[in-house]
Amino acid sequence: MTELLIETPVREPQRIRGLEMPWNRVMGSTEAPARAARALGPWHPQEFMAECVETIPEAGGMMTLVFRRCDGAPLAFRAGQYVNIAFPVNGEEHEPVDRSYSLSSSPTEPWTFSVTVKRDPGGLVSPWVHDNVRPGTVLDMLGPVGAFHLPDADRRARYLFLAAGAGITPIMSMLRTIHSLPGTANVVVLYHGAEAGGFAFHRELAYIASVDPRVKVFYALGDRGRPEEWEGFSGRLSSAMIEEVAPDANGRQVYACGPEGYLNTATELLKKVGVDDTSIYMEFFSGDRKTLLEYQAEIALASDIAEEIAEEIADSAEDYYESQPSAFGLYEPGYDAEGTLKASGLPLEIVEPEAPSSEAGKGTSEADSAAPSPDASSFDTVGTGSLTLSFMRTGINVRIDPEEHILGAAQRAGVRIGANCKEGMCGSCKVVKLSGEVEMNHQGGIRKREIDAGKFLPCCSTAQTDLVIDA
Amino acid sequence: MTAPVHQPLNARGKLASSLPAEQLAEITELFALRRTGYSLDAPFYTDSTIFKIDMEAIFGQHWIFAASTAELPEPGDYVTVDYGPYSLIVLRNDDGGVNVLHNVCRHRGARVLTEPTGSTGNLVCGYHSWTYSPSGDLIHASAPGETKFDKSCFGLKRAHGREVAGLIFVCIADEPPTDFDETSKIFEPYLAPHDLSKTKIAYQQNIIEEGNWKLVMENNRECYHCDGHPELACSLFPTWGLTEGLIPAHLEEVWDRNKQAQSSLEERCRRYGLPYEVVEELDTRIAGIRISRESLDGEGESFSPDGRRLSKKLLGDLPDFRLGRCSMHLQPNSWFHFLGDHVITFGVFPINEHQSLVRTTWLVADDAEEGVDYDLEKLTYTWKQTNLQDKAFVELCQQGAGSPAYQPGPYMKSEYQVEAFINWYVQRVQEHLA
Ligand code: FES
Ligand code: FES
Ligand SMILES: [Fe+2]
Repeated sequence: MTELLIETPVREPQRIRGLEMPWNRVMGSTEAPARAARALGPWHPQEFMAECVETIPEAGGMMTLVFRRCDGAPLAFRAGQYVNIAFPVNGEEHEPVDRSYSLSSSPTEPWTFSVTVKRDPGGLVSPWVHDNVRPGTVLDMLGPVGAFHLPDADRRARYLFLAAGAGITPIMSMLRTIHSLPGTANVVVLYHGAEAGGFAFHRELAYIASVDPRVKVFYALGDRGRPEEWEGFSGRLSSAMIEEVAPDANGRQVYACGPEGYLNTATELLKKVGVDDTSIYMEFFSGDRKTLLEYQAEIALASDIAEEIAEEIADSAEDYYESQPSAFGLYEPGYDAEGTLKASGLPLEIVEPEAPSSEAGKGTSEADSAAPSPDASSFDTVGTGSLTLSFMRTGINVRIDPEEHILGAAQRAGVRIGANCKEGMCGSCKVVKLSGEVEMNHQGGIRKREIDAGKFLPCCSTAQTDLVIDA
Repeated sequence: MTAPVHQPLNARGKLASSLPAEQLAEITELFALRRTGYSLDAPFYTDSTIFKIDMEAIFGQHWIFAASTAELPEPGDYVTVDYGPYSLIVLRNDDGGVNVLHNVCRHRGARVLTEPTGSTGNLVCGYHSWTYSPSGDLIHASAPGETKFDKSCFGLKRAHGREVAGLIFVCIADEPPTDFDETSKIFEPYLAPHDLSKTKIAYQQNIIEEGNWKLVMENNRECYHCDGHPELACSLFPTWGLTEGLIPAHLEEVWDRNKQAQSSLEERCRRYGLPYEVVEELDTRIAGIRISRESLDGEGESFSPDGRRLSKKLLGDLPDFRLGRCSMHLQPNSWFHFLGDHVITFGVFPINEHQSLVRTTWLVADDAEEGVDYDLEKLTYTWKQTNLQDKAFVELCQQGAGSPAYQPGPYMKSEYQVEAFINWYVQRVQEHLA
């Protein structure tokens, strides 16, 4: 694994703090252009057809299959997730056989995506894949699936990736993603392989490590003997090896992927070096019955959701796409009851496409829940003017002209609002506006935060529309 | 010679000059007779005149710790801090700085802000609604019929405020001691990696200890009494403050563990470029300080029974949870623990000669979620218990100082920092009275 590198002094690039996925902001945005980009955000699993466009042989008996969706849409997913693919191994007229494969490409290049399949000579599916899937092959897929993925935003972004054998595939997706994004991430990869020539992606790994100062890659051979020229580690995963590649492991989020035995060892060792179990995420590439059942349940759930959503879209595509941000987060894989496998995406700020309307039954704002509002149309109305102020506690409507200050009109009508300076300085007249627009000329008697929370100073405000006031 | 227009509130010797000469001589004598290496005479802990002198010479002259950035993150946020006869408003202004104002209305002296914390636009006195801008200018006072009322003469009195590495300090002296800049330079690099500006308050505890403020500070400067802290002893090595040669037989094993933990902590610190050396200038500068980064027992991460983290979100850009505790003691009124996962600030605010408010604030990363990343009970348990134990110790001493049988006793070797604190105190007051 010795790559000849010519060391040239490189200037540290200016990076943003931590790591943030490109869709993170888009999903919460109500701006039209950003909304158009939502298709790139990982909403939920779907069933779709994809066409193979390229096959790339990799070291270690692996092969990368590059696909694009037949419907032309990008594939939105999170780095680390997988797809479930139906392979017609027994011919088109027989039931296809499903297999799950981790995506090895980066979601930041969403127009094509790839999986990397290791040939298992005794297996049913992988040899068929290697021998039969070619550019032009079209396959049915379900995805993305899985809770093993990078968070959408992470201001700390310090990772330790542990991969054994084919376990490198989701890790490769994560690494490619981080490499493609700005940010101050810090990544250590420790990659175990069975033989010196069997490390898939080693050229690209070496390249990324050489150009991206955020990434360090270490290789280790198992205990089946090491060739003379080998410069990496040898022996199985050990706590000393972890300490050596990442002495600060206990402050990192650890993503580990590989066969069951390897991952069980890793769990023990990570505990030993002080990694909290809530900081460990794992993807099993082999496992006992329980593990397999968990994955089956995950795929079944994904398939239910895919179906549900397909129906919703069929019913009213327009409504569906409009309400997309609130549907986001719908898919929460349920297989990790023990909590140890849960990936932690920072919650996204979900902005309703429309401003919170006072629709019945969904009263969430404090003003709504404080008191069931009486009906202003039954109030007495006093005064003259083109606009109406409805004072909900006092139970009166006051007519007012647009240039008149609200406080005076209210006080004349008997609404009890404390007031002192009448110049927008003391804040003593502060009230809550339930609806409508005012123009306010205050002098420090109110804070922006309070204004944002719907308060205003009636002594220095005029009405621009009808108002409903909590006074 | 004309009298100064603005008589400074804490003019040197103001109290001293107003005291009967005999009493002043007596007090000056008490300071002069202070026996090095021994606890103070009873009046230092019980006498109201000495308390007034403390307020003038120490709390009226020095930079004191008031709050942390997390307590007033946004414009308009304020805390009020009271000590002795003083009440101050510490307010975050629109420029991101802090304004420090005396919380005394210029009309008839009412407290302007009565809540301990809050958020406000302008400041309105509750009595007759005089209204002050956030910088203290009187901007509104209803004045029917007044002809010669000049608002500009009645702004709130201002004091000095400084924010260093997420800690806010105030000073009511007209001319604050400049040596605080040097002290800031000492502690800033220790604190910066914990990025206090990105923390939030998980919990704040106010306890009133029936003890003189000096007893509270003294108690904090030694671990001779640490047998009385079973919860703290899980993570804090009971050998704290001891050096080779002073280790009692029953602590030898602990001492070995301590040394080992310290050397691996130092290795980590060097790797990450974190300062850890002990800087101890308790009585060798005006703004006395002791700071260091020290290992913790067990996993070495936090004040928990097994030394494991209590919050799962690392502070700032720290790479590692296993960073022991960076501890700082700042004279006259504060001490701190900065850990990988949380920060605890302690402020002592004297009430009178026999009562002190001790305010403890637990800060966690501002994105840490209660119940998810930390359990509030577990986070606060060790120091809540420790504070109660310390309160009891302080109160025992206060009772002793009130007894006619009390006589100053010797500070032991492991209490050298107590001696240094008292030495600092005596020097500062003597300078002031001189
Ligand atoms: S009365 Fe003072 S702000 Fe309205
Ligand atoms: S005392 Fe403050 S306004 Fe009168
Ligand atoms: Fe104590």
